This record gives sequence, structure tokens and C-alpha cells, in this order.
Amino acid sequence: MRQARDIPVLRVENLAISYETRYGDVQAVRDVSFEIQRGDAYSIVGESGCGKSTVAFGIVNFLGRNGKIVDGRILFQGRDLVGRSQEELRKLRGDRIAMVYQDPMQALNPTLRLGDQLSEVLIVHRGMARSEAEDRCVHMLEQVHMPDPANVMQRYPHQISGGQQQRVVIAMALLNDPALLIMDEPTTALDVTVEAAVLDLVAELQTKFDTAIMYISHNLGVVARVSDRVGVMYAGTMVERASVSDIYLHPSHPYTLGLMHCVPKLGMDKSSSYLYPIRGRVPSPKNLPPGCIFEPRCDFARKICQEERPSIREVEPGHWSRCHFAEQVLAGELQPLAHLLPNLEARERSGEASKLVLNVEGARTYYDAPSTKLIGGEKQFVKAVDDVSFSIRKGQTLGIVGESGCGKSTLVKTIIGLEKPTAGTFEFMGVDISTPVSSRDLDLIKNLQMVFQNPDSTLNPSYSVGAQIARPLRRFKTVPRNDVRDEVVRLLNMMRLGENYYDRLPRQLSGGEKQRVGIARAIAGRPELVMCDEPVSALDVSVQAAVLNLLLEVQNEMGTTMAFIAHDLSVVRFFCDTIAVMYLGQIVEIGPAEAIYAPPYHPYTEALLSAVPIPDPRVEQKHIRLMGGVPSALHPPSGCRFHTRCPRRSLLPDGGAICETTVPPWQQVTEEHRIFCHIPLEELYKLEAVITIDVEEESHVG
Amino acid sequence: MLVKDYMTRHPMMGDPGMSIVEARHYMNENHIRHLPIVGDGKRLIGLVSRQTLLVEPGRISSLDIWEIAHHLSKMTVSDVMVRKEDVVTIDPDATIEEAARVMVEKKVGCLPVLEDEVVVGIITETDIMAQLTAMMATRIPGVRVTIHMPEVRGELARLVAAISAQGWGILACGGAPAPREPGKWEAVIKIRGVPRGEIVAALSQIKGQEIVDVRETD
Repeated sequence: MRQARDIPVLRVENLAISYETRYGDVQAVRDVSFEIQRGDAYSIVGESGCGKSTVAFGIVNFLGRNGKIVDGRILFQGRDLVGRSQEELRKLRGDRIAMVYQDPMQALNPTLRLGDQLSEVLIVHRGMARSEAEDRCVHMLEQVHMPDPANVMQRYPHQISGGQQQRVVIAMALLNDPALLIMDEPTTALDVTVEAAVLDLVAELQTKFDTAIMYISHNLGVVARVSDRVGVMYAGTMVERASVSDIYLHPSHPYTLGLMHCVPKLGMDKSSSYLYPIRGRVPSPKNLPPGCIFEPRCDFARKICQEERPSIREVEPGHWSRCHFAEQVLAGELQPLAHLLPNLEARERSGEASKLVLNVEGARTYYDAPSTKLIGGEKQFVKAVDDVSFSIRKGQTLGIVGESGCGKSTLVKTIIGLEKPTAGTFEFMGVDISTPVSSRDLDLIKNLQMVFQNPDSTLNPSYSVGAQIARPLRRFKTVPRNDVRDEVVRLLNMMRLGENYYDRLPRQLSGGEKQRVGIARAIAGRPELVMCDEPVSALDVSVQAAVLNLLLEVQNEMGTTMAFIAHDLSVVRFFCDTIAVMYLGQIVEIGPAEAIYAPPYHPYTEALLSAVPIPDPRVEQKHIRLMGGVPSALHPPSGCRFHTRCPRRSLLPDGGAICETTVPPWQQVTEEHRIFCHIPLEELYKLEAVITIDVEEESHVG
Repeated sequence: MLVKDYMTRHPMMGDPGMSIVEARHYMNENHIRHLPIVGDGKRLIGLVSRQTLLVEPGRISSLDIWEIAHHLSKMTVSDVMVRKEDVVTIDPDATIEEAARVMVEKKVGCLPVLEDEVVVGIITETDIMAQLTAMMATRIPGVRVTIHMPEVRGELARLVAAISAQGWGILACGGAPAPREPGKWEAVIKIRGVPRGEIVAALSQIKGQEIVDVRETD
């Protein structure tokens, strides 16, 4: 069967998919072609709304009632899937094509035990006896490295963590030994450490089961880690396809180039870098430009781009691009126009910078937990924040990172006054702020503002944008009553939104625009300190870049101090002066941004860095994976809280027995850099850097 | 060297309702000679090979082209396939030589690999040939020596000892009863990175063993 190996598992030719709407057919996907070889992983990347998922749904014909394939062929193992009956497709989906979706909780039935859900696949599709099916499922759970699989079979989905749920879903998908596995953003909802482990698993299963994988993601870093070949989709069509290293090192389409430029790289720091957002947004499929579809957003656009739609062509062997000027882009001859280059003034780091804006000592926030005993019993607490101390100087940004459940948000909410602190001193510009927000005076509220993660839920849907920004202006009397409108317009302009947004309602805005309104509202009162709780994690990469740049500009212009929560370590590196790494309610390492990213590391920081997906195939990352999830904050581990998962305990005598019994000391690396660990600094200095870039290869190529 | 490591996973498969015209087209287009026919859950139902698709003239009542087309259009794969009971299959945990033996004995060119009646792969003559070439390190340059020796226990070990005494490694090694020489054993040894002359000089020293063929491969 040698020939059979050359036949791609999946071959998509000129696929076009339309949705029937009230306004006639809307072409969601046009002219998409690619093929996936046996045992390969193929990735499709692009912003949201580019038709990535539509392609995946088209393959298994899950398009819904109004969706239809209008053109092209989908050959699965050499057989055309287009035009097959539902019954045939159903069989195929069950037996040979499997899918894994973004949210594992939605793929699992919450009312059934996991064992029943898993074995159902085998009982229905293979007619296997229940006991045999269960044995097989336990075996499969072992293959996906699920701890204690027999026990997991008895549990309900809500009783296991998100990463474990995703493992169950992957196990379920693999039970029938599919030839093709379609994964639609399988790790987007997961923590970075869990994501790293799931990606490792995907790569392992790919070789073990010889399964072809179609991987859909918006995260360029993830794509670089899992796949061999990549297709970049934009507005329903594929604009570039090539091998991973070609895409990342020598992109030939301006959109791909734009995507690369708008992700902060781990090597970048705040003072030297500026992200290049892609202006505008993905056009609606109803309303495509007549020429090149990317022309309205392209920095290199020429006259021909407006008139003629380019077709996809091979620029180099195996490297396809849909651009009139692909060769020039490839050669790096085209440069973005000058007015798009950053216009950052030197930051003021004068004497004022040394002034402390916020000083927090021994902060504790506990939540009461109901006692497990009916009568009596000791009162229990969830120690969400436990003995945290830090300070922020004027005009600086503090980044707070950690896995979910580490108490990052609780800490910020405590400072802003939305949670009641249990203990500790909170001083904001010399004033005690351990009072809840409702009893704070107006001046304090004005000076301490917050930007929330989800822009949808922070804006009142029934008020216009202008009214929402004007409200803090009126309340805090920032400007005289008559000037409020002018000030709102000034803020809107600063957010690059323009006056015409004044009367719009939130539902008329995109996610990125809403977040900008949220920022405008937060800075309307000219606060001293703005707390940002994951302000960009819900946004597309290109929008994320624009919002980050905006925050930087606001800070430069107004000298605002910021605290910035993020789970993305590259964003934090780009954005912050000081970084605090939190684990289970405590800060384990705090220091200047550059110091955090180089040895000595706290072992937890090291593990987090090793898990970050980096959109550069040249980068070598050390392979450190944390086992399990963050332990319960109700009963945190004794001694060092990280000891249950610490990969570096072996550096200590007796395998780190001291970690279980004694709370570690704060070790001072420099005046500002502290590490909360038993391992002596000399040992930590000896650790290799987690991320190294193999620059040699580049010089070789160049 | 087990079947499960050398079989083709996720083979192309057909279903019993497929028309034979479609099946033939599918096999031709993808250059495959055997098509396992599966039902729900990839359970094996039968096997179609190029031969089974050769419709016997006796089944057609006339040679009228319309008659033939009509007849063919009505026939499905389940009409012509070799039924499950008659299909020779193999277990994924069987050894590769076992698979070869079954293929030789039953005179078949392909074995569906079954695990609980479910098709998990397919192993064909080509896979086994590919394995033979790999075993003999065909693609790696070196000196290939064929030696005849008495079919006595310990002879091959003497040869190996002589090679190891020189400090050379063995790239590949195989053996079988010598053809047309009863009582003799034929061994093939492949050595990498040593000049041909040195090998011949060293191996011709072994008493009772005879070099019958030496060649350099690349």
C-alpha cells in the first residue's frame, strides 16, 4: 500500500460555503484549498470571523440548515464528501473523523458520569459489551495521561478540572481510532500551563495513532508548537499557506506579516517596542472590497490592489500566497508607511517616579467557607489572598501573572474596594484604603479606577457611549459642566474612535471598540492608578495590539500608574515595569520585568515561562510541565505552597523535605527582585534560561 | 517487528452499499488493489480486490452494451466481495513473519488487520517487501557479503565473532538454508564503513565458511 500513503487523508479543493440569509446568500468561505497528509498536523490561523470554523464544519457538513457547500470538493481518503447523504456522513463522523471543540464543558453531558459517556461511544458504534467498553475507556484515559482513570470514570464532568475535561474529550474523540481529528481551538479556554500539557499530548497522539490533525487556532504561538504546515485565513479565504518555518520567518502576505507584528514577543520590553496593530477589522462577507480583500487594511496597498483581486500562487516551492507583491514582501522590500511608525516620546522617569502610589503590606482576603460539620466545627476560610506585600511607584506598571485560581483578581478587587480585606494595610498615596468602595470618598474613587476583562458586561447596553463616558466626568467634576461633551470627544479621539461614536450604543461596537470605551471611561476622571483585569485576553490579536498601544500611550501622556493582570507572559513583559508572579494567594517572585525573564527564577516562574507558546519556530524552550492543577485554597499545602507541584525540589537536600514543613524565606536577589523559595540563590542562578533563540539558523538563512 | 507497527493505519475502506463502478473507480484513482468493506464501527464485512471486480462473463446474459451497463449499475460491492468468513485476516500483535507466512500459505496479497472484528489497519505484500528492504539495510551504503556455511549450531556465531574481533559493526544480517545446497546455510552480512578488501581478507580466514558473493551497495 505504498501508494496509499501518498494520498492525503483530507484534500480540500476550491471550497466555497454560503449561508442563506434574509438578504440572499452570503459567502462565508471562498476558494479554500489545502491538504493534510497521513499523520500530519495542519493548522489554520486567522482572526475571529475569518471562516476557520466554517471550513471545519463544512468538512463534516455540520453547517446547519442555512449553510451549504456551493463549490469545490472535499476528498476524505480519496472519496468526495460533498453531496453525500446525512446517513453516510453520520457513519463517517462516528468512525473516521472526530472533532474536539473549544469548550470541553459543552462537549460533555453534565448529567452523565464520564464513564457512561465514554463507553457509550463504543457501545453504540461498535456494539461492544459494557464491561469491555469500560476497560477500553480506562485504557484510553491512560493514554491521554489522566491521573487515576478508573476513578475518573465514576465522576461527573463538573468534578474534574478544565484541562482534565479536555483530556476526556480528546480520549473520547480517539476511542474510534479516527483517521482525521479536527480540533477547533481546543486549548483557548485553558490556562497556559494546562495548555502546554494538552499540546504535548496532541503531538504525542499524532505519532502514536497516526492520526491526521486539522488544528484551528487564533494563537500563533500554539500553531508554531503543534503543526507542520499552516494555512492563514482572512475574510473567508486562504491568503497564505506554507510550512511553519516559512510562515513565521519569511511571511509573504501582508496579513501574515501583520499578525506577526501585533503579538508581543517575549524578548521585547516596554521601552523599546511598539506593536503594529492591523487597522480596521475583518470585512463582512456581504461587503467585500472589489480588489484584494485585505487591501483596505494593508499597509503596502497600491493601485492594482484596489482593482484586481489576486489569486493564490506558489511564490516558492510549497509556499503559496495571495498577494500581488508577495515576492517583495518576502524579500522584505516593502516597509510600512512612515506615518504608521510609532510615535513614542521618551518616558519621564524624573524624581517624581520614585514616589510610591500604592503600598500594600501583608494583604489577606479570606472568604468564609461553610463548615462541613452540621453543628460546631471550626470556621474555614478560602484564603484567596494570603500575605501579599508590594508597592507601585508613580507612572510605573505592575504586572500580576499566575494560573487561574491564584488570587490575582481577588487582590485587585480588594484594592479597588469590591472585596473586604481580612487583614493588612493598604495605602494609596498615603491614605488608608481598606474600606469598601461604597464608603470611600469621591476623590479616592476618582483616583482609583478599573478596566475589566469583559467589555460586554461592563458597559450598560441601554446608554450611549457618550453618556457612559460623560458620567464619571460629571460625577467627579473633572471638567466644568459645559465642557463635558468636548472632553468626551477628546477622550474618544484619544481612543481613536472619533466623535461619531458619541451616540452609538454598545451593541453597535466591536469587542475592541467596547474595550476602548471601557478604558476611556476609566481614565475620564484622570485617575492616579488604573487597575486592568485581563483587559485584552478576550480580544483578537490585532485588536489586542491596538488596545495595548493605547494603554501605553495613555500612560505616557497622563503619567497614570497601572496594575495589569494577565495570564499571557509575553503581554506582561511588553507592558510592565515590575512583575509579580502569584501562586495560590501568595506572591512567589517579584521584580523588574527584565529580571523575571532571566535566571534566577522561582521554580514556578520557570515553569510558567516554559509553557508560553512562542510564535517563532527558532525558539528553544526548556520542557518543564507542572502536574495537576492549583491545589484548593481552602487547604493550601503546608510549608511552601508550591511544593506539591515543584519540579525543582530535588535541588535541595533530602529531596526538599524542608519545603513541606517550613515556609520559605524571601531571598533578595537585588534591591527590587525577591524570590520566595528555599533553594539557595546560587543554585537558582545555575539554571539555564528557559527561552533561547537559535539565531545562528537565521544568519545561515539570511 | 509486529504487524501493528508496520501495517498501514487508517486504510481506505468501502461500504457494502457502494456500487462496483464506484468501488473500481475509487481503487483506480487512489492506486489501491484491496478495499476492505466495513459496516458500522468499522467492522469487517468483506474484501474487494481487483480480481473480485473482474465480473465473470457468465453472469451477463448478453453482450449488448446497454445490457452490460444496466447489469453493472445494479451491482453493489456486497454482491462481489469476498465475504468475511473467507477473508484471511491477522491480529495486530502477530509478528511480521507470521503475516508473511499466512500470505504465502493462503496465496493472498493483503491481510486486513483486525482487533475485535474492527479493521485497524491493513498489511500487504508491499509492506512486507518494504520491511525486507529495511531489514537488509538496502538504502544504506556498505559491503554486502554472502557466505555459505555448514548448517551446524554455532557457525553464525563464529562469523559474528570474527567480525567483532575486528571491531566492526553489523549493519544488517540475515540467513536461510542455502538454495540448491542441502546441508548448507546461507548468511548475508552487511558491514558499513570498512573497505571491501579488508572484509574479504578477514572473513576468508574462517575455516569451513565460503564467501560466495561480495558487493558494495550504495
